[in-house]
Amino acid sequence: MLPLSETVTPADRNELADRVRRAAEQGQPVYPLGGGTNLAYGAAPSEPGLGLSLAGLERLVDYPARDLTITVEAGMTLATLAEHLAAEGQQLPVDVPYPDRATVGGAVATGAGGPRQYRWGTLRDYVIGLSAVDGCGTLFSAGGRVVKNAAGYDLCRLLTGSLGSLAVIVQVTLMVKPRPQCSALAACPIPDWDTAEHLLAGLVRTQTLPSAIELLAGPAWRDAPSLGPLPAGAVAWLAVGFEGTDAEVRWMLARLRAEWGETGATVAATLLDRQADPLWKALTEFRQPGPERIADGSCAAEIRVLPGHVVETVRRVLKIDGIASILAHAGNGVVLAHIPAAAVAGLRSAFRASGGSLVVASAPAGTTRDVATVWGPPPGGWTVMQALKCRFDPKGILNRGRFLVADGCR
Amino acid sequence: MIATATIPLLRELRRRLGAENVLGAPSELVVYECDGFTIEKNRPDAVVFPRSTEQVSEVVKLCARYGASIVPRGAGTSLAGGCLPVGGGVVVMLTRMKRILTIDLRNRMAVVEAGVPNLELSRALAGSGFHFAPDPSSQTASTIGGNVATNAGGPHTLKYGVTLNHVLGLEAVLADGSVLQIGPVPDPAGLDLLGVLVGSEGTLAIVTKVWVRLTPNPEDYRTLRAIFTSVDDATNAISDIIAAGILPAAMELMDQGIIAAVEEAYRFGFPLDAKAIAVIEVDGPAAGLDEQERRVETICRRWNAREVLRAADPRQRELLWKCRKMAVGAVGRLSPSYCIQDGVVPRTRLPHILRRIAEIGAKHRVRIVNVAHAGDGNVHPILLFDERDRDEVARVLEAGREVLAECIASGGSVTAEHGIGVEKLDFMSRLFAPADLKAMRRLREAFDPAGRLNPGKLLPSECGASAQT
Ligand SMILES: Cc1cc2nc3c(=O)[nH]c(=O)nc-3n(C[C@H](O)[C@H](O)[C@H](O)COP(=O)(O)OP(=O)(O)OC[C@H]3O[C@@H](n4cnc5c(N)ncnc54)[C@H](O)[C@@H]3O)c2cc1C
Repeated sequence: MLPLSETVTPADRNELADRVRRAAEQGQPVYPLGGGTNLAYGAAPSEPGLGLSLAGLERLVDYPARDLTITVEAGMTLATLAEHLAAEGQQLPVDVPYPDRATVGGAVATGAGGPRQYRWGTLRDYVIGLSAVDGCGTLFSAGGRVVKNAAGYDLCRLLTGSLGSLAVIVQVTLMVKPRPQCSALAACPIPDWDTAEHLLAGLVRTQTLPSAIELLAGPAWRDAPSLGPLPAGAVAWLAVGFEGTDAEVRWMLARLRAEWGETGATVAATLLDRQADPLWKALTEFRQPGPERIADGSCAAEIRVLPGHVVETVRRVLKIDGIASILAHAGNGVVLAHIPAAAVAGLRSAFRASGGSLVVASAPAGTTRDVATVWGPPPGGWTVMQALKCRFDPKGILNRGRFLVADGCR
Repeated sequence: MIATATIPLLRELRRRLGAENVLGAPSELVVYECDGFTIEKNRPDAVVFPRSTEQVSEVVKLCARYGASIVPRGAGTSLAGGCLPVGGGVVVMLTRMKRILTIDLRNRMAVVEAGVPNLELSRALAGSGFHFAPDPSSQTASTIGGNVATNAGGPHTLKYGVTLNHVLGLEAVLADGSVLQIGPVPDPAGLDLLGVLVGSEGTLAIVTKVWVRLTPNPEDYRTLRAIFTSVDDATNAISDIIAAGILPAAMELMDQGIIAAVEEAYRFGFPLDAKAIAVIEVDGPAAGLDEQERRVETICRRWNAREVLRAADPRQRELLWKCRKMAVGAVGRLSPSYCIQDGVVPRTRLPHILRRIAEIGAKHRVRIVNVAHAGDGNVHPILLFDERDRDEVARVLEAGREVLAECIASGGSVTAEHGIGVEKLDFMSRLFAPADLKAMRRLREAFDPAGRLNPGKLLPSECGASAQT
C-alpha cells in the first residue's frame, strides 16, 4: 500500500529520532507505521521511502491508576492498553477499529473517534501529554501528566489528528475513565425519514444520557449483528447506546421506551452488555471496512454536517446511490457512507455549500487518491497549516504526499 | 506621554472606527494598564472598541502597517497578566461585540460574539433545558472570548471538561487581518487549529465569534457539604472518591481560612471550627444519584467527616455554589491585598500539595487560605498580604514561587486554568525542555511571524529572559 523501500523497527525513541534525522539529511520520505490498520487513510503517496515501525516502542511507561491517567509508548496496541486499564476497572472511552492491531500512536495520529463520541468525545479529548520526533529528528514533548493544564500551547491538540504530517508520535499520556458497570444498545426500525428526524430531534431533549446515537441504513446492515433483518417497509435502524451502573442503564432504557412510545416508535431490540458487543464492534469498524465488506468500486466516505442535517444528508446520499450503506453517528453529524467513487465529487460540493465536508477514508484500488480527491478543497486556515508543516517538517519527509505538503517552504 | 510614532496610527484608528471608539489620552488609558494581575503595569498607546469583525480586521491591518503590537482584551479578569500591554501597543476591546446571535437547540449550539459575558449566555438559556457548561468563578464578568482565549475551567470542569470541550467553532482575525472561520462542523481535512487557538491567550488570533456547545441540564442533582476535621482527611476522601470510579460533577474544597471569610461575608452557617469543607455535587439521571450519594458519603465518613449534609432544595444549592464562587472575593475581608495562585498536581498528590502549601506559608510567614477544584488536583492557594509592606510582598512572591515549584516537583503544572500570561513566564523553562519550547515557538511563528499579537506573553523570549515592561 505504501511505497516502502525498506522498513526499520527502532528499539527506542532515540534510535527512532536518529533514523528520522538521517532520513531528513537525505531528503528521504518517512512513513510511520503503527498497526497498519488505517494505512489507506489519506492520499496515496508515490515516492518510495522509509517505513518506520513503532512496534519496538510498546512499553507501559506509567500507570498511576488512582490519578486516572496512563502513559504508554506509541506502538502499544489498543487491546493491550485496554487490558491494562480493565485490570484497574478503567477504560479509554474512544472506539478504535481493530484494537488487536491498531496502535495508540496511530489512533492519536488519526484522531480516532467512533460511536461513543456523542457522550465521551474523541481521542483529542483524552491526550494530555505526548512526546514526538519532528521532521528534523528532534525529540520534543508537550502537555504533561495532569488532567487540566494551561501552560503554553496545546501541542497535543496540534498533533492529534495530524496524520503524522508534523511529527512521529513516540509516547502518549491519556486521561482515562472509570469503566461503566453495564452497557446497552436499544434499536428501533424507522418507517420513514421524517420519523427519523423527529426521533433524532427528540433525542436532543431526552432525559437519558446516550453514549451513542446511530442511524444504520443500507445493505451492510441487512443482517446487522444481533438485530436481525430490518422489518419490511422500514428505511433504517436507529440505535441508541447507554452506559452506566445497572440501575442507571435499566432506567435509561425504560425512559427511552417511554419517550419513544409517545411518538409511536417502538424499541424492537434491546441488547445488554455482551449481547451488544458485536453491534458495537460493527458500529466501530464501519469507518474502516475490510475489502470484503465494501462493494466493488465503492469507497468509504466520511461526511460531516451539523447534527440537524444528518437525515437530509442521508437522503441525499441515497438519492445518488439507492443502495449505499450508511452509518451516521447522528448526534455528532458524522455520516459514514460506502458510495461509488464516482459520486464523491458531486456530493462533496453539495455538502461544502452548507458548511459540511467530505473526506474519502478509503478508496478502491486503482482509483485516484491524490490530496485533492481524498481531502477535497483546502479547509479554512490552510495557509497556517502549510506554515506549520514547513516549520515542523521543513524537508517535507513525514508522510510525504498523504496530507499536508511542504511545498513552497522557504 | 504618547509616543509620537503612534499619532498617525491614532488618527487613522479614529477615522476608521469613529473617535468615540478610540481612546488615546493618557488619563483614559490608565484603566488598561493591567488586568486582574496588578503586580506589573504598563500603559497602552491606544485602546479601541470595535463593533464588528470587519472593524477588528481593519484595526489589525492598521497595526500591521504601523508596526504596532496588539493586545486583545475581554473583561480583563485575567489573573496572569494576559492583558498587560507589554511595550505598549493597541488594546483591542471585545466588550462591545456582545450579541448572542443564535441559539440553536436542535444542534445544541449557540453562536455568540466574543464579548458576551459568560453569565449572559446562561441567562439567555434559562428555561431552555440547556446550559453552557464552563462556569469560571468570574462568570458574571468574564467574556466567552476570554474564556476561549484562556481555556477557562470552573468547578464543573471535573465532569464536563474545560472550555475547549464546549467550543464547536470560532471566527478569528489572524495577525495579517484575514478572517478565519473554523467549524462549527469539524473538518477532518486539516489540523486541529480550533484546539490550538483555544487557550492561546490572544497570541495567535483575536477571537471574534464563538460557536459553543450547549449541554442538556441534568435531570437532577445532589449537592453535598462534607465537614472535615483536617485538611488531610478531606483531600484523602476526595482522592478516594475519584479512585473509586465515581465521577461527581464537581468536588470543591475550602479550608478553614477561606471558610471564615465566606462566613463573614454570607453567613451561610458554615461551622468556623471546621478545618475543611468539601462541596461535592453528583448529577445526572435521578435513578443513579442516590447510590452515588451514598458511596460519596461512605468515603467521606471513612475519612472522619463529622457531617455530610445534602442541600435541601434548589435555593440552598444555589447558595452553596454562590458561597464557593464568591469565596475569592470574600477574601478581601481578611486582608487588604491577596494573590490567588493556580497550580495543579496529579489527583493523588492533593493531600501532599496542601500539606506543603501550609509548610511554605509558615516558613515565609505568609498567611495562605485555600480553595481548590480538588477533583482535578487544581489548587488555588490565596496568599494574603498588605501591599504597603515591602518585606511581606517579597515573602509572598517567594512563597508563591515555592508553591509552584512544588507543583512541578509533584508531577504537575504551574497553571491549570489561569494561563501563563506574563506572571508565569519564568516557569515555562522549568516545565518544558528547550526543544519543547521551540516547538511552541514554531506554532506561534506559523500564526504570527512578526510576533505582534500579544507579545511578551505565554512564551519566554528565546534568550530565556522574561518580558520587560
Ligand atoms: C475572581 C476571579 C475568579 C476567577 N475564577 C476563574 C475560574 O474559576 N476559572 C478560570 O479558568 N479562570 C478564572 N479566573 C480568571 C479569568 O476570569 C479567566 O481567565 C477568564 O476566562 C478571562 O476572561 P476575560 O474576558 O476577563 O479575559 P481577559 O482577562 O480580558 O483576557 C484574558 C486573556 O485572553 C486574551 N483574550 C481575551 N479576549 C480575547 C479574544 N476575544 N480573542 C483573543 N484573545 C482574547 C487576553 O489577551 C488575555 O491574554 C478568575 C478571575 C477572577 C478575577
